[in-house]
Amino acid sequence: MGDEQQHEALTAATQQVVLPWRRSLEMCWLSLKNRRGRILLVFLGIAVVTAFLVDMLAYHRILADLRRTDDVHTRAVLERAGVLSNNPEASTRNRDQMAWLLGLSALLCLVGVTNTMFMSVNERFREIGTLKCLGALDSFIVRLFMIESLFIGMVGSSIGAVLGFLLALLQLGMALEFGVLQGGALLRALVLAVPSAVAAGTFLTVVAAIYPARVGARMKPVDAMRVEV
Amino acid sequence: MLKRETVHTEDLHKVYYMGAEEVRALNGVTVTIYAGEYVSIMGPSGSGKSTFFNMIGGLDKPTSGEVYIDEVDISQLGIYELAWLRCRKIGYIFQTFNLIPVMTASENVSLPMIFAGLGADEARDKAADLLARVGLGDRLMHQPNELSGGQQQRVAIARAMANDPAIILADEPTGNLDLRTGREIIEILTELKEQRGVTIITATHDHKMLAASDRVIWVADGQIARIQARDELDIKVGTIGGEEET
Repeated sequence: MGDEQQHEALTAATQQVVLPWRRSLEMCWLSLKNRRGRILLVFLGIAVVTAFLVDMLAYHRILADLRRTDDVHTRAVLERAGVLSNNPEASTRNRDQMAWLLGLSALLCLVGVTNTMFMSVNERFREIGTLKCLGALDSFIVRLFMIESLFIGMVGSSIGAVLGFLLALLQLGMALEFGVLQGGALLRALVLAVPSAVAAGTFLTVVAAIYPARVGARMKPVDAMRVEV
Repeated sequence: MLKRETVHTEDLHKVYYMGAEEVRALNGVTVTIYAGEYVSIMGPSGSGKSTFFNMIGGLDKPTSGEVYIDEVDISQLGIYELAWLRCRKIGYIFQTFNLIPVMTASENVSLPMIFAGLGADEARDKAADLLARVGLGDRLMHQPNELSGGQQQRVAIARAMANDPAIILADEPTGNLDLRTGREIIEILTELKEQRGVTIITATHDHKMLAASDRVIWVADGQIARIQARDELDIKVGTIGGEEET
């Protein structure tokens, strides 16, 4: 048998190393289940940022809606709280400050998640090396870490979004009066703020995981043989 | 019996750079290993034993020279081909067992088969079969932390056999095991060799391994110091066994 022929057989087989999606999801689930403590930290980070974002969006949205109302009682409540008329200058300044705060907390969160993911990658050098010895491609490793971060991002930011929305209601209710917070305005704010914040939180987590995932994928199979940690 | 070459290395050199210093880990190694052999690679640490071993396994690339596995020069292979090779042709066994901690014995053994494209049911059945063969038929659903060291290593052997490889590479397979368990592992490897014709290549410090080997390759200073067949070895161990312990 010639070298050439063997080579062809190998080349034809190149696409035959596979990891089905269902199996990837199972592997991620198992690994998440076994690293609850570590992941709780990431959850917390993501949840806090998302809560902050939702709180801000929902608060302003509901207030803006209330200002447009014709209801006499609501207008009286707003008047008493001193937020009936919209002072454009103060409002812009306020929004700028909020944007800064939000950006900063997002950055901190990004760094936190990246760091945690790095620890998780380094902890698993042997596992990654072994997977590669068993035939895993770099892309399998990237995929596993990406699915993991997608899951963490979605769950963490969903929890955060719900908490943030409740927080916004609480703040408004205390500043004004719980009675004026009515269906239509709440629903509109909910629809506007929650999905976009969940999307933003998830996006942030996945972005934070890209670099650690790539570092993990580039680990060499021979790392599996390392005896010392 | 006709001997078929399964691994052949041609004038392997490997040079590392540690800062400005040049380290010659391998210095012209030419070796042929035949199908169905049990070969031990012996040598002190720093001898280039591990480097040589890793190259045979496609885990490291030579600076110059060639490594042929079943007549294919693996130092020329791309990433997909190498992954395929690791998946189908070579089974790895590690000193530290290296089972995936979150998976059961059965899932660990199935994994290489999943990579090779086998269906989930098929993979599970074959994993059960392989685990029964290494004496763990009643431990399919146990996680690695519920198994003893010897049992974990047996799961690892079953995993290495998952895709019916031509070669099993075992890096100090008995290094983390006590005497008796180590001997059991060697017995299983010998059985695999005899029943399935798998080529077994181990890197080891363990003198128990010698008796099971068809040949022993001694590596020193990046070169082959000598190659001994089993019959030569028996005489040596009988006569100057004490001196060998240094």
